[in-house]
Amino acid sequence: MINLICELSQYFIMLFMILYTVKCFSALSVTDEKKRKKKTNKQIGYVFVIHFFCYLVLYLRTEDVNILVFYLAQILVAVLYMLIFHGIYKESSALLSNNTAFLLLVGYTMLTRLDFSLAVKQFVLATIGLVLTSFFPYIMTKTKNLRDHAVLFGVLGIVALLSVFVPGLGQEIYGSRNWIHLGPLSLQPMEFVKILFVLFVAGTLAKANTLKDLMINAIISAIFMGVLVLEKDLGAAVIFYLTYVCMVYLATSRPIFLIGGIALGVGAVLCGYMLFKDSLFSHVMVRVAAWQDPFANIDGSGYQVAQSLFAIGTGGYLGTGLMRGLPEVIPVAESDFIFSAICEELGVIFGLTLILVIVSIFISFVNVSMKCRDPFYKYVSFGFSVIYIVQSLLNLGGVTKFIPSTGVTLPLISYGVSSVLSTLVIFAVIQGIYVVTTREAIKNEKDRERARNFLEQANAAISAEE
Amino acid sequence: MPQSQQKSEDIAERIRNKIASEEEFLRREEEKEANNRRKNRPVVVITYLMVAVFMCLVVYIIYFMQMKAEVTIANSRNVRQDTFADRVVRGSVITSDGEVIAETVVDENGNEKRHYPYGNMFAHAVGYDTHGRSGLELSGNFYMLRSHTNIVEKITKGLKDEKQRGDNIVTTLDKRLQETAYNALGYANGAVVAIEPSTGRILCMVSKPDFDPNDIENVWEYLHTEEGEKSSVLLNRATQGMYAPGSTFKVVTLLAYLREHPNDASNYDYTCYGEDDYANVEISCAGGYAHGEVSLESSLAYSCNTSFANIGMTLDKAGYKKTAEDFLINKDLPYDGEYYKSHFDIDASSKDTEIPQTAIGQGETRITPLQNAIIMCSIANGGELMKPYLIDGVESANGTKIKTMKPKSAGSLIQPSEAKELTEYMKSVCDYGTAAWYFSDTSYDVAGKTGTAEYDNEGSCNSWFAGFSNPEHPDLVVSVIVEDSDENGINATGVARQLFDTYYAGQ
Repeated sequence: MINLICELSQYFIMLFMILYTVKCFSALSVTDEKKRKKKTNKQIGYVFVIHFFCYLVLYLRTEDVNILVFYLAQILVAVLYMLIFHGIYKESSALLSNNTAFLLLVGYTMLTRLDFSLAVKQFVLATIGLVLTSFFPYIMTKTKNLRDHAVLFGVLGIVALLSVFVPGLGQEIYGSRNWIHLGPLSLQPMEFVKILFVLFVAGTLAKANTLKDLMINAIISAIFMGVLVLEKDLGAAVIFYLTYVCMVYLATSRPIFLIGGIALGVGAVLCGYMLFKDSLFSHVMVRVAAWQDPFANIDGSGYQVAQSLFAIGTGGYLGTGLMRGLPEVIPVAESDFIFSAICEELGVIFGLTLILVIVSIFISFVNVSMKCRDPFYKYVSFGFSVIYIVQSLLNLGGVTKFIPSTGVTLPLISYGVSSVLSTLVIFAVIQGIYVVTTREAIKNEKDRERARNFLEQANAAISAEE
Repeated sequence: MPQSQQKSEDIAERIRNKIASEEEFLRREEEKEANNRRKNRPVVVITYLMVAVFMCLVVYIIYFMQMKAEVTIANSRNVRQDTFADRVVRGSVITSDGEVIAETVVDENGNEKRHYPYGNMFAHAVGYDTHGRSGLELSGNFYMLRSHTNIVEKITKGLKDEKQRGDNIVTTLDKRLQETAYNALGYANGAVVAIEPSTGRILCMVSKPDFDPNDIENVWEYLHTEEGEKSSVLLNRATQGMYAPGSTFKVVTLLAYLREHPNDASNYDYTCYGEDDYANVEISCAGGYAHGEVSLESSLAYSCNTSFANIGMTLDKAGYKKTAEDFLINKDLPYDGEYYKSHFDIDASSKDTEIPQTAIGQGETRITPLQNAIIMCSIANGGELMKPYLIDGVESANGTKIKTMKPKSAGSLIQPSEAKELTEYMKSVCDYGTAAWYFSDTSYDVAGKTGTAEYDNEGSCNSWFAGFSNPEHPDLVVSVIVEDSDENGINATGVARQLFDTYYAGQ
């Protein structure tokens, strides 16, 4: 009987996941605010249904009461978050907050399955993060001086990145020196520095008028990239670089910066490979080899990707069902390789729709940037959009052997203190920009309405006079 | 009323100004809007790019699931296979003629036991499933642990919390041929492989000494005794037995010679006095028999050692090595089960003294019966080797076809003209040469090569046969090794004859 309930739940999860994804895109495409509200309200329902069935299966398979308590705690936080947040910020994007909740809940589900204590840790941290970041939109409507400290952000960012080289603080993990230890917390400074980096680039680009300004901006950005390469954190270097190129392209509107930037990036990687393939890039080479044929060295460098492909393939389109696969065999399944664990147990169809949801989140981010007229906010929201999507691509592509694995997290789903907090900041800042822009747009619309009414009446009066 | 006129003109002026400023405001707003749209172009471009990349990712994942996943997850290193055993009763192995050769029997208490109805007969080919896995139990493990029964059965069993019935694998093995080979070897140690050269289907695979997979617990115990350690019963000699190829290797030597003499090979002649010296190595023909004047063809037909040592001495060593490696000696074989790589040690730097023995298949060369079968398969199939395989397909417990394996080419090992030429030479072996006695009264023709490989200095030798029937349209490749044939009196060619007979009796 339990088997049957679990199997049926699996189909419900998949069905509502598809419905949720459809709503993500249809909510993006409607312009009418009321219709969108209707769609996003339905989405909330779908999230809770998916979440309910996931935890039902988890409970039935483990019969662990703690899981029920944890489930209720999550529901409580999610409901409070949605109610309070939308209560305070009438103009906020429901789509965005729905997606935030959705990604977090999917992450909690998979973490509960993999390691209950990690799930609780993630939940506590993310809840603190949600509370703290809910003030962001408020702060952003009150002050505009964030943009005046762009250079400070740049310097801070570089210093934070360099912190991993401080003996006793920094640590090398999986071949990259990109972790620091602060008491009980292990952090990846890169996760926070990417926020500072975008603020720095956006601030300086918004003010840049001459080629000289652009050059200074480029030099400081190059320092960021240089430090990341020294940390041997190639994934982060790629994220920073692509974000930078895209932001410059937006600020200048010149396609040459995009094409040239990408060409330069490819050239730099090739040169780096030629010059340093045995030293700085040796662990990159290992990952490239593991990408080309993970099964050739299945006991060594290929192990992770091979296990990931086993998981995805064995789970199949429909998945084994929660608790019925072996995702724990994949090294760091709770973090970088969580997508493989999701595919194995919830199914590749779930995985594919999750990818579509991620794409829809990116499009909703980009929409914010397009609506925004203020250059600084426009650049910031665009930069964050690119960071989000490139990081997702590196993660999803890496675990599916689409591209070499670079060891970055899947935002809001993977376990990771730095990753979750920094992603929440990014989501909140974009939400803030959305609120600011919407308020401005509403005010503008009122002004225009008033002007139009006035002109109409005047014209009517004139024609009556004649 | 100039004052009021003045006033109304003031108002009119103010209204005009107001109209102008509102119009200006709207115009500026529109301009800003247009500016913003222009400014947004890069955002749109990047968005399309990113969406395109993600679509590629989605298509790639679907491609992986459709085309690659099956093969990837069937990898024996995929530990997930074992978790399926909790939900599925392992399926059976069925021969191509419908005999069950491995099945799982479930008693009333739900205890499962693997049962092998034919015991020792299929031991190495089917393998075992406890204390690790081997043979088909290993390579077909994944298929047998999946269930494709109909949905009604699935739901009923699901409701009762019963295990689903796993899929069965249908092997290429033919029970009649397997039985013939098994009986023909008798008490002798050795191995038999028979392959359909046009497809690569392995029709029989026997290795002796054997074991009873039903009794694998005791087999393991026996293996830990002093006697058992030496017995190597678990070794599948068909794919893992490393033997000196003996005279069967003359086929390789012959091809190396033919390649060096594309036009004048028919001019070759040699007078055999029963023994001779090459590079100070003494070579003698079987029983010291003098073959007299021989051509290239009769050298092979009579398996004349001195003549082949003579041929070997003329060969370019690098070319010799290349010819051997073209036949996949020293190379990985296109075969999914467990096997050992054959080896041939001559290269450009080898000493002349190594050549005479190597040319007649003594020396340091070691090959497996599967390797010899592969050489014959490529010759029989016009040079193109079809990958040898054991699993024909998968069907559900209800008998519905789930998967049919298609024959796969492993590439051309030699030229079609070379294959044809070698076939002609090998026909002479069975027409009037060393194998003629065995095939004098058959309804079919055979091309092949016999071999007697000495493995010590006391005259102990292994008997070989490798060849195929119906050389015009080759039907069946057979490769046989019989250990200690001088003691047990079982000749490999005789075993091959019985196999061909069984094969054609059923046609």
